[in-house]
Amino acid sequence: MDDTNERIATAPLPTPGELRRRRNPFIQFFRFMRINWTMWRLARKHY
Amino acid sequence: MARVVVLGAGVSGHTAALYLKKRLGKAHEVVVVSPNSQYNWIPSNIWVGVGKMKTDDVVFPLAPIYAKKGIEFVQAKAMALWPEGDADDDQPAVEVEHTSSDKAGQTEKIRYDYVINATGPKLNFGATPGLGPDGGHTVSVCTPSHATEANVKLDEVISAARSGKTQRVVIGVGHGTCTCEGAAFEYTFNVEHELRAAGVRDKVELTYLTNENELGDFGVGGMQFEQNGFRTTSQLWTESLYRERGVKAISGAAVTSVDDGVIHYDQLDGSHNDLEFDFAMLLPPFKGVDWKAYNKAGDDITDTVFAPSGFMKVDADYSKKSYDDWSAKDWPRTYQNPTYRNCFAVGIAFAPPHQISKPRATPDGLAVAPSPPRTGMPSGTMGKVVAFSVADMILKGATGPTHSASMAEMAAACVASAGTGMRTGTAAAMTMSPVVPDWEKYPETGRNLKETFGEIGLAGHWVKRLLHTLFIYKAKVKPGWTWIPE
Repeated sequence: MDDTNERIATAPLPTPGELRRRRNPFIQFFRFMRINWTMWRLARKHY
Repeated sequence: MARVVVLGAGVSGHTAALYLKKRLGKAHEVVVVSPNSQYNWIPSNIWVGVGKMKTDDVVFPLAPIYAKKGIEFVQAKAMALWPEGDADDDQPAVEVEHTSSDKAGQTEKIRYDYVINATGPKLNFGATPGLGPDGGHTVSVCTPSHATEANVKLDEVISAARSGKTQRVVIGVGHGTCTCEGAAFEYTFNVEHELRAAGVRDKVELTYLTNENELGDFGVGGMQFEQNGFRTTSQLWTESLYRERGVKAISGAAVTSVDDGVIHYDQLDGSHNDLEFDFAMLLPPFKGVDWKAYNKAGDDITDTVFAPSGFMKVDADYSKKSYDDWSAKDWPRTYQNPTYRNCFAVGIAFAPPHQISKPRATPDGLAVAPSPPRTGMPSGTMGKVVAFSVADMILKGATGPTHSASMAEMAAACVASAGTGMRTGTAAAMTMSPVVPDWEKYPETGRNLKETFGEIGLAGHWVKRLLHTLFIYKAKVKPGWTWIPE
């Protein structure tokens, strides 16, 4: 029995605060730097 | 003078050719054979599929780049491998058929000292009756032309929804053994964004149809990562994304056929189901390209060189084992063919030893087994590693590969980004390290939790846009290209 849609219906939703953080350019700039740094490091780890 | 032939000019083949030429210089020949005259940055095809980019934004001609770097370019497709040479010449050869307009249909044998197979996959739409844009009933975003066609059809759906007609959109995979679920996930994310931007989201029922046993599997067995002080799963993370966006999903499904407006699929519980649609983008399964291998006497040795899937055998452990006995050590490190030591296969062209996700089947025996993804970051790294090994074998006389990179050590990133502009886009960004879980090294989750994460927001969108620009810059071999990692 596929319960995927039941699971989706009860999955956690982001709070209004989290939604604001996802769009806040200042916060997102630091996340942007973090993602880039992590990807760069992971790619460079193997050549 | 040694000659290295690189078959394919996608991410892994193009990377291998450029690094080979950089290391080998003018003293040795590098020949690239590709049926396509243009390079395609495939990850951005998704944006072509929703009209946010044009074909010209994701492709560029290969010939001028190779001419500038002193690499010979042959526009042709590989037909047969002669790894022992043939009756005329002891030197190994690749038999090719030209695809350029002036030489179309002509065949020739290109002799080599080393060959790197980076042919990528054959898009096997034929595995599912009615699948695909050529004679089928679904669209695809696998090539720029497919993606352009998908965008035209999507515009028709949006127009119909604007006129008040409820529309049914299905996005996912078109066979039980498909891979690249991440691309289908990203296209879902983009289409949902476009429908909202067009003001018709309430008129469209959007369904994600997948062979993954649970959402967030992505063909890699899912992930665990830490978020806000909790350890969460990619399953819960994806379910949350879909709830937020009102996307329905069907998992553990193997599409069996597609008729006009109806997808037929079986599920792991044995049910046979129909799903009606007005627009369906279903990715095809992959198989190795259609070519053969022959020994010096002309006997067919395809089974020796290639796995039944059509992908080339490399230094992996292909012995049959149960799922519980699979190990990270089964995965190849040097991508060298075990029979013919001057043959290598990288990217999608190498045969994986087994799936990463647990393979399952319906009670009728229909496989529901996502294949391992071998694209993007790992693909480029494989090309680079093999180029370095081959260069050392030529220049330093090394007797075997000198560089290695296993998918059980390498990381990968997936950024599903939607929208345009600095303030209006959004993305779900993920990294995993390693791609193949190593349960001995990381007994809790199979992966390094410091290097495996999921992030939602504007930042991922900026990252994706930056990657598009950087990787096309790198592929065009502009100044400083080697500083941009794979």
